[in-house]
Amino acid sequence: MQNNLLNRYTRGWYFVLPGLIVMLLIVAFPLGIAARFSLHDVFLYDFSNQWFVGLDNYARAWTDPLFINSVKVTLLFTLANTLGCLIVGLLVAFLLSGKRIRFKAGWMALFLLPFVMTPVIVGITWRLFMWEPDFGVINQLLGFFGLTGPYWLTDSSTALFATALTNAWHLTPMAILVLYAALTTIPDDMYEAAKVDGAGAFQTLWHVVLPMIRAHILFVSIIIMTSAFREFDMVYTMTGGGPGRSTTVMSVLAYNRGIANQDMGMANTIAFTMFMIMAVVAWLYIKVYKVNKEASA
Amino acid sequence: MNDRNKANAKLAGQYFGLTLWLIISLLPPVILLAAAFNETAMFRSPLALLTLRDFTLNNFSVAFNAGDFWFYFRNSVIIAVASVIISVAVCVPMAYGLNKLRPKIRGALSFAILAMRFLPHVVLALPLFLIFVDLGLSGSRTGLLFAHLAIHIPFAVWMMVGFFENVPKEMEEAAIVDGCGPWKLFWSISLPVVRPGLNALAILIFIMSWNEYLFALFLAGSDAQPLTVGITRFMGGVEAGAQYGVIAAYASLIVLPVIIFALLANRYIVTGMTAGAVKG
Repeated sequence: MQNNLLNRYTRGWYFVLPGLIVMLLIVAFPLGIAARFSLHDVFLYDFSNQWFVGLDNYARAWTDPLFINSVKVTLLFTLANTLGCLIVGLLVAFLLSGKRIRFKAGWMALFLLPFVMTPVIVGITWRLFMWEPDFGVINQLLGFFGLTGPYWLTDSSTALFATALTNAWHLTPMAILVLYAALTTIPDDMYEAAKVDGAGAFQTLWHVVLPMIRAHILFVSIIIMTSAFREFDMVYTMTGGGPGRSTTVMSVLAYNRGIANQDMGMANTIAFTMFMIMAVVAWLYIKVYKVNKEASA
Repeated sequence: MNDRNKANAKLAGQYFGLTLWLIISLLPPVILLAAAFNETAMFRSPLALLTLRDFTLNNFSVAFNAGDFWFYFRNSVIIAVASVIISVAVCVPMAYGLNKLRPKIRGALSFAILAMRFLPHVVLALPLFLIFVDLGLSGSRTGLLFAHLAIHIPFAVWMMVGFFENVPKEMEEAAIVDGCGPWKLFWSISLPVVRPGLNALAILIFIMSWNEYLFALFLAGSDAQPLTVGITRFMGGVEAGAQYGVIAAYASLIVLPVIIFALLANRYIVTGMTAGAVKG
């Protein structure tokens, strides 16, 4: 009752409305147009000629080996990023939360830098100086151990691995930051209790630490997942989707279809498919989050 | 004694791990910087660049002049600053108001905002391209700004909702009892509490806007291009050819402001990025 009064008194809608109108205009409206285009044949530079074709574009997409390949590439890229960032992020966060580690804020400030670096520049830097086959850092290090590295970005069997690793390098700080914040909330006596009970380091991690930071792991996975899923800048500047179609993620394919092939109908179909996948992910996240919250409450 | 040795060995191991990750984190940007200050960066190992044996500032003057740096710089700054101002003005009240709505409506709106937050950017870039042609906004900074806002607004609302949730209810109720009106309740009671959040928001949006590339590629035409497009065009152009040093100088000029900014405002970035973590 009291709560209700506060709600009515504060006039929440007055504050929400301007933002909501802007969102409808610049997000919801273009989304609607994208949905509409995905049901039409429409070409770049010739927007006045549109034909309604129903779900034909979607049917064409799902029988197009290039599209199906891009779905596979995107899923692999996303999975590799999510797992890589989580594992390394957890490891580094765990090390940083060590009781006797000093200058924690300083370490964290430096660890953050890959994340704030412009993705286009990350792509360029890694392409020119890290993955470069003859004198790049990676192959020089491999050479130091007597190994000959491949032509990372121009070899279709290694290009996806290299781009995914680069993107994971860029996103890992997010995981470190959130998981470190989570670890600092675990009271010391939890560790003490685990120790008294005779739990080893791995058992403590698995049975004590991970369950306690479950919500944070979920949050950070979803952020990294959605970010990797839509990644365009990095892939486009590193490989342009090649060699062949080995790194053509869905975003890059949508761009190629729309701009290079001028097939805006198909481009919107691909993009809208991506949106629908993400909407389902958002819905699932909210569901799981609620279950989690109720379980821990 | 044995225990102490063990503890020290553990500490050394922890520092070793952290240092290893620090090297991995910093090596690429450091090599980029080193290459920018070296001549003939192309023919030498990046690790050898770190010695700065062929020190030069020439790469920067090529980047500034041949690379039309200030033209792109101007577009980047104008769009980023406008993005920050508009998103803060629109999103902060919205995030505040959302917390005051009935739970059902609030839940529905939160889901919509979350779905927008996860939106693949390409799904907006394609239709906006057409809409801007219709509105005469194609190739304009205003158009590009709208596209940026479409990404920043859901992010900003999502982030700020978390901060407003931390404002103690008792504080607001006490203010109402004292006869505080709805506007004053927002402006003088709640807003000061979320101050650190505001700084974090402004910084993160500036960085996001500065780093943006996809929209610029689709929508910037030739007049509104920001630095991210500037460097890719410069790399494709004849002036740069395969001169890695010049490209590195250009790239450093783009990335250095963000890095310096991030180091100075580090505390706020940490606050902002962990904001959404505890809530749904």
